[in-house]
Amino acid sequence: MSKTYISRHPLESRIPADPGIRAVDHLEVPQRVAIATVMAAEGGDAFVAAALAAAGDLSLRFVAPGEWLALSQLDTPEILQRNLSLLLAEAAHIVDQSDGRVLLRLSGPNVRRILAKGIATDLHPNVFEVGTSSNVLCGHISVNLARTGENEFEVIVMRSFAESLFDDLKTMGREFDLSVGFST
Amino acid sequence: MTAYRLSAGGLVDRTNRMDFKFDGRTMSGLSGDTLASALLANDQLLVGRSFKYHRPRGIVTAGPSEPNALVTIGQGSRSDPNTKATVAELYAGLDARSQNRWPSLKHDVGALNNLLSPFLSAGFYYKTFMWPAAFWEKVYEPIIRRAAGLGRAVLERDPETYEKVWAHCDLLVVGAGPTGLMAARTAGRAGLRVILADEDFRPGGSLLSETVEIDGMPAPAFAETLLAELRSLPNVTIMPRTTVFGWYDDNVFGAVERVQKHVAQPQAKLPVERLWRIVAKRALLATGAEERPLVFGGNDRPGVMMASAVSTYANRFGVASGKSVAIFTNGGTGYRTAADLAAQGIEIAVIIDSRADADDVAPTGTRVIRSGSVTDTKGKHRVSGIVVERSGFEDTIACDAVAMSGGWNPVIHLACQRGAKAVWSPELNSFLAPDVGNGLAVAGAAAGIYSLAACLSDGAGKAAAIIADLGFSAVSDVLPSVSGEIDPSFTALWYAPGAKAKAFVDFQNDVHVKDLGLALREGFGHVEHAKRYTTNGMATDQGKLSGINATGLLAAMQGISPADVGTTTFRPFYTPVAFGALAGTSRDEHAAPVRKSPLYNWAQKNGAVFVDSGLWYRPAWFARDGERTWRQSTDREVLNVRQNVGICDVSTLGKIEIFGRDAAEFLNRLYCNAFLKLPVGKARYGLMLREDGMVYDDGTTSRLSSEHFFMTTTTALAGGVMSHMEYCAQVLWPDLKVRFCSSTDQWAQMAIAGPKARHVVQALVEDDVSDAAFPFLAAQAVTLKGGLKGRLFRISFSGELAYELAVPAWFGEAVADAAMEEGRAHGICAYGLEALNVLRLEKGHVTHAEFDGRVTPDDAGFGRMVSAQKSDFIGKRLSTRYGLTAADRMQMVGLKPVEADKTFRAGAHLLREGAKPSTLNDQGYVSSAGFSPTLGHDIALAFLKSGRERYGERVVVWDKLGGTETVAEVCHPVFVDPGNAKLNS
Repeated sequence: MSKTYISRHPLESRIPADPGIRAVDHLEVPQRVAIATVMAAEGGDAFVAAALAAAGDLSLRFVAPGEWLALSQLDTPEILQRNLSLLLAEAAHIVDQSDGRVLLRLSGPNVRRILAKGIATDLHPNVFEVGTSSNVLCGHISVNLARTGENEFEVIVMRSFAESLFDDLKTMGREFDLSVGFST
Repeated sequence: MTAYRLSAGGLVDRTNRMDFKFDGRTMSGLSGDTLASALLANDQLLVGRSFKYHRPRGIVTAGPSEPNALVTIGQGSRSDPNTKATVAELYAGLDARSQNRWPSLKHDVGALNNLLSPFLSAGFYYKTFMWPAAFWEKVYEPIIRRAAGLGRAVLERDPETYEKVWAHCDLLVVGAGPTGLMAARTAGRAGLRVILADEDFRPGGSLLSETVEIDGMPAPAFAETLLAELRSLPNVTIMPRTTVFGWYDDNVFGAVERVQKHVAQPQAKLPVERLWRIVAKRALLATGAEERPLVFGGNDRPGVMMASAVSTYANRFGVASGKSVAIFTNGGTGYRTAADLAAQGIEIAVIIDSRADADDVAPTGTRVIRSGSVTDTKGKHRVSGIVVERSGFEDTIACDAVAMSGGWNPVIHLACQRGAKAVWSPELNSFLAPDVGNGLAVAGAAAGIYSLAACLSDGAGKAAAIIADLGFSAVSDVLPSVSGEIDPSFTALWYAPGAKAKAFVDFQNDVHVKDLGLALREGFGHVEHAKRYTTNGMATDQGKLSGINATGLLAAMQGISPADVGTTTFRPFYTPVAFGALAGTSRDEHAAPVRKSPLYNWAQKNGAVFVDSGLWYRPAWFARDGERTWRQSTDREVLNVRQNVGICDVSTLGKIEIFGRDAAEFLNRLYCNAFLKLPVGKARYGLMLREDGMVYDDGTTSRLSSEHFFMTTTTALAGGVMSHMEYCAQVLWPDLKVRFCSSTDQWAQMAIAGPKARHVVQALVEDDVSDAAFPFLAAQAVTLKGGLKGRLFRISFSGELAYELAVPAWFGEAVADAAMEEGRAHGICAYGLEALNVLRLEKGHVTHAEFDGRVTPDDAGFGRMVSAQKSDFIGKRLSTRYGLTAADRMQMVGLKPVEADKTFRAGAHLLREGAKPSTLNDQGYVSSAGFSPTLGHDIALAFLKSGRERYGERVVVWDKLGGTETVAEVCHPVFVDPGNAKLNS
């Protein structure tokens, strides 16, 4: 007997089907992003970093020395895994985290002011430039934060904390009428 | 206009009248007023009663140091007690009440305390209410607390919202007075990221009360010009209504912003207060100086005010503090106030100057008494005259207000909050900030620089130094010119001699000079002792007015320098901060994050009752129709697992992926048992010790390929084990080639346990899961029917034939649904933490109830697991020390009641039969206990001295909390299937 299993987004119960009017400050939740932890094997940090940077279709997030999250908005988790394995072979260890992490995208003119309510890191564009990413605390919750644009940040959170972080972000954005919705 | 509102002048908007209430009476003020200025304009000078003697007290200051004018603002759950009227911004509809009076402000019964005051001297609580000792808590303290006190805390839930925010800057300027504004402008022009914080609702500081001209403009207009420029600079943030209250490590400053304290109806989407944590590369204190009160007889009479406050009320708020004002001063400031009053046409009754000669010039026609002293004041609810004495000649002079000026105390609070002590300056007669290094500098009046021109120059100069220090280039700046300044220097006067009435030092706590003298005589002369003995400086104003005077008096009484007395310790907070602001949004569901398992929805729809387990919500049991208690559900779940099959969410266990050439060696050193030769495709139970030889955590680790291991930890220590491993890899053995990361959240993991488990698992996965193909402790990647990739482990916590199936988390609910569907024919049930616990208890499996940090592997029966062959592992050295190998250590045993209907509780202690309960006779304790539906009676795991030699012996289970003593038989801790036939079936 063959089965087809349905995948459920962890925030399904939190995000209304009809998102309503999109405000200038918006929290967008992509339906599915392939995410993998990439850990350079012994002494391979520089090679892995260079190879990942050269692979144009990946987004890279810094986690720790020699450790990154590699993201793909287009590929499935399996294809991302395979591509990374082909690219890095023995130079890195790869762990699929697509189900273990949830990506949230915050954008709008007040996004820095919203994030400052939970994150202690200085997000001034001269300090935290576009393309920068780091593990930071948002309130009580550890997240990976990346600046993807002048007024756009992506937050990657562990799946089990996603609902709490989502609720916290909504509270943080209340002042600016932050709207929320899945990517369309 | 009211009697005391001047006909013109001030920074109030005379076209915008605002009605407010004080003690139920409707009054009218103006936009730009504080509550205090509006009260003064309405001739409401009497605003409260003092803490101990209930003496009538009036407004003394025009700022945050106010000791008397404390009121409760708002009604019901929205009321704020102990709010200083001198900083409360007036708004239409404000509703304020006076405090510490009954039945009314004017007629207060508690004032009897004043008549009793000879018996209420310093330390009187300790002396009077010593005996009998039991009376203190039950009788004396409640009475004293009712008699003495200020506003009452509201016990209702606070309906307001608060939040916390981080901010970052190159330069934080604290205080937007002349010094701070110039510093911010200089730094802002140079391109620094500047935050300028000021506690007032209107930035400008003393400039708002100044009458001098700067660059040809009135001082408030000059302030507005600077502010307009600052507002135009994108790199400058001005934060009004923001009090910087604390200085912390790493140059982080705490500040509270009153976002909606000045509105009648707060907007729901904004907090009423915001707590800022400001990370500043540099900070500049431009907090100005606080005017020092004079200590003279009757100085607490309503109408006696600080001279600078009298000026501020006149110049900034257009309010006369009196119709005929006497001035008592020891320096130039009294003359400045005289000039301000003269300019407003307010009568000056007299100027009493404690100095013999001074260059200060009084307004024409004003009577000046040099070398004079005020010895008493007249009047009840407002001063009506003062008694003046000079060289033995006494005179009573009528007046309805007294402006006093005892010189200036630089506001250095923040600079002293991290341990450095204030430094006495004999030249300036005041304490100055210590040198606290680069992070924080002090400028202007806060640094003892009192002339306005010098403050403007110092603000710009100190900012320029910081600019250079941070590697920016300063933009050249022309300093503004000031005309018409007075010289604010003064000669210290700690005590006006000849007092004929109480001369108060601390107005709010009713501490007068004689209290300090008593403290000194009784051996409490050290400034910190005197503070506690007299309560000087312990009121809500924390000694802002009284602290330095107490130091000066204690020094003068002993004939020593104030430098030798020192100050009491400065600590955050500078002014009180509401608990709500400190909590921010971290309340209710935001108090702690909730972690949800990928099987949460599955559990919920199957009737789970959840329990907090750390941050996780885990199913405790799955209630079915007709089940009324948790025990009924749990017993059913346990029996069903033993007879058929059950499914349980184990996703919360910590999961760590470990890679690398040395991964096996790494694990071999982490665990006390051997892992080097674990075959690929196998799981092994592992015990981790601490360095001290005690068990730290346990779990299974599987080898998925030669250089890839998969570790599970207990739920509780998932984070702890990960940190431990990071420490080991980075600090202890950086030479090992190993990498690891958590995959806890990636997998939904379900235990499928029971004699019929194989049918269910085989229905789900393609791979052969027969005992031959997939024996006990097999572990490997599998493919589910339909192609989904998962992992399968043949491990068992229940003692049954059991598998743990892991699938990618987002598919967890669907796979668990399918397992329920496939299992229906086999009688499957979902089981929760309670059943999980009973099952493991029956099997004698341990948890952190057993591994509580005091237990060695041998204590728990794992002695043979500890590898003797391994050259080293964490905990090896200390596990052989004396005491850890002693024969009479408590060892884990099972207990069953001799009478089957008796029960056990964890925490009970064990005694020999007939022995009296005592520490000496203690034989051990129960770590886990519960009802075993399989056996039909309670069972327990316990630690008993030399327990393994005592199977069959009877012990008493002594439960002091439950009030029971139960006789139990000691037995082997495995109650069910000791031969592991079920496991291997």
